[in-house]
Amino acid sequence: MTQHKPWTIAAGFAAGGFLLAVGIVLQLVVGSVDWSVYAWPVNVYVLGVFVALIVVAHALRDRFRALRFLSSLQAAVPALVCAVALTIVMGLMRQDGAGGWLSDMLSFWPFVIIYVYIAFILGLVTLKHSSLMLRPRRDASAARQRRPRRWLDDAAFLLNHLGLFLALVCATLGNADVQRLKMVTATRTLQWRAIDEQMCVVETPIAIELKRFIFETYDDGSPRRFASDIEVVTRTGKDFLATVDVNHPVKVDGWKIYQYDYDAEQGADSQTSVLELVRDPWLPAVYAGIFMMLAGALLTFLGINRKEVNA
Amino acid sequence: MMIWDSFVYFAVVAIILWAIGALAAWKDKSGAAVITTGLGLAIFFTFILTLWITLEHPPLRTMGETRLWYSFFMPLVGLIIYLRWRYRWILSFSTLMATVFICVNIFKPEIHTKTLMPALQSPWFAPHVIVYMFAYALMGAATLMALYYLLRSRRHGVSSALDERSLFSLDQLVRSGLAFITFGMLFGALWAKEAWGHYWSWDPKETWAAITWFAYLTYIHYRLLPHHRTRLALWMLVVAFVLLQMCWWGINYLPSAQGISAHTY
Repeated sequence: MTQHKPWTIAAGFAAGGFLLAVGIVLQLVVGSVDWSVYAWPVNVYVLGVFVALIVVAHALRDRFRALRFLSSLQAAVPALVCAVALTIVMGLMRQDGAGGWLSDMLSFWPFVIIYVYIAFILGLVTLKHSSLMLRPRRDASAARQRRPRRWLDDAAFLLNHLGLFLALVCATLGNADVQRLKMVTATRTLQWRAIDEQMCVVETPIAIELKRFIFETYDDGSPRRFASDIEVVTRTGKDFLATVDVNHPVKVDGWKIYQYDYDAEQGADSQTSVLELVRDPWLPAVYAGIFMMLAGALLTFLGINRKEVNA
Repeated sequence: MMIWDSFVYFAVVAIILWAIGALAAWKDKSGAAVITTGLGLAIFFTFILTLWITLEHPPLRTMGETRLWYSFFMPLVGLIIYLRWRYRWILSFSTLMATVFICVNIFKPEIHTKTLMPALQSPWFAPHVIVYMFAYALMGAATLMALYYLLRSRRHGVSSALDERSLFSLDQLVRSGLAFITFGMLFGALWAKEAWGHYWSWDPKETWAAITWFAYLTYIHYRLLPHHRTRLALWMLVVAFVLLQMCWWGINYLPSAQGISAHTY
């Protein structure tokens, strides 16, 4: 087999440009990305197929130059440049959906495809680095002598890349399963209904009665604390008293109950309080990614000052 | 607010001490440089601490208060870099930067003591903002180094003006800064989940935080690329710092972010 020269960064920009073009075509043909399609269980299938594709691409990397290229810096840097550029556009445009494609960036195909591309690269890079670590090095002793802190670098590398992969992929795919319901609770009323994000009234598995609305102000009249003493009754048979404070949600049956709003005119005399009920079944996976990234950042920082030039 | 009236005295004494430290560094009197810079930091931190006690919450709420931390972290980062790499010029730059931010606080305060609203009463508040301010100070120092190298390499050419060792130090600085930006961003995500019900809502502040994070990632990956262009890499750092400014305070003036960001202060 002849040894080919590796592709350059120009090829990476070509790949990025190609994906952007594909995104535009998709946008024109099928319209904006419809995220509601990816609700359970479709998102699990999509995740399975995505991971399988990454594994296959990794397994075939010795056969195809293009697959080797995808886990290279020459592909990663242009992908990052594209992500930065598209996200800047998102930051400059008001995201209210009223100004065409660019005002609804999260459903804009080129934006989504570039982030999927980055996730694909992250997956491939993680597998590549893992397999390089597992492969015995021929000059292992020499390598160890040169880089005594190799394991620290490896761990940081894997945590950084796999952590971002998990957080990015699971947050995106799990988004369709997130439920956010607003519930107007009142005293002497057990409330079993709430309003979902499409402004539809829905029955909830949790009922809440407002016992007392708590409202404290600073000397200048601005709110210091607003909170709700509530009684929670669930379909699973739980019944308990709790206090919901801003920054201190109450957890029950996979739901978190937040203090959302209150009757500003009534203030301390309010007989109602608006709570938000949030359920996000993918949260543990996203948090696993976030904590891996935190650990990765810590190891990166610890590894920095141990290195010397050309180490 | 009474305590802010005394700010100018603390600030002037700190600046004088930092300036003496910077001068000592130029004259290679490293002991004196470290001691006076450290003393200036202690005096400046005394003010922050007094303010903290007076307010009964960490002073991180207003733009003026975050500038206060930045003016503190800038000489601190300068001192760390000086101890680590002995750049004679770094203390002058960090003193200058701190002085600029102190002057802004004296002449355009924006420090009206706002009471701490419920959303900010969280154990995440202090780590989130302090870690970010420290990261910003590191990135500020990295940007100054990048500009210095850009200027020198334009005058003397890349090969004679830049050795691998100085670029390697710069990379270490950026990597440290990015580690702290990552902490700040993810602490923010964990806090947002507790306060607002979701860890990431693409609020304008979050969008620009993501942009900044990816921009520094681009630099780090580009520097690892064989046959990359050094001056382009340095320019990337300058651009990334401009994006960081957008994230820090620029969005307050951005039409697309008006009235919808939950990060208004």
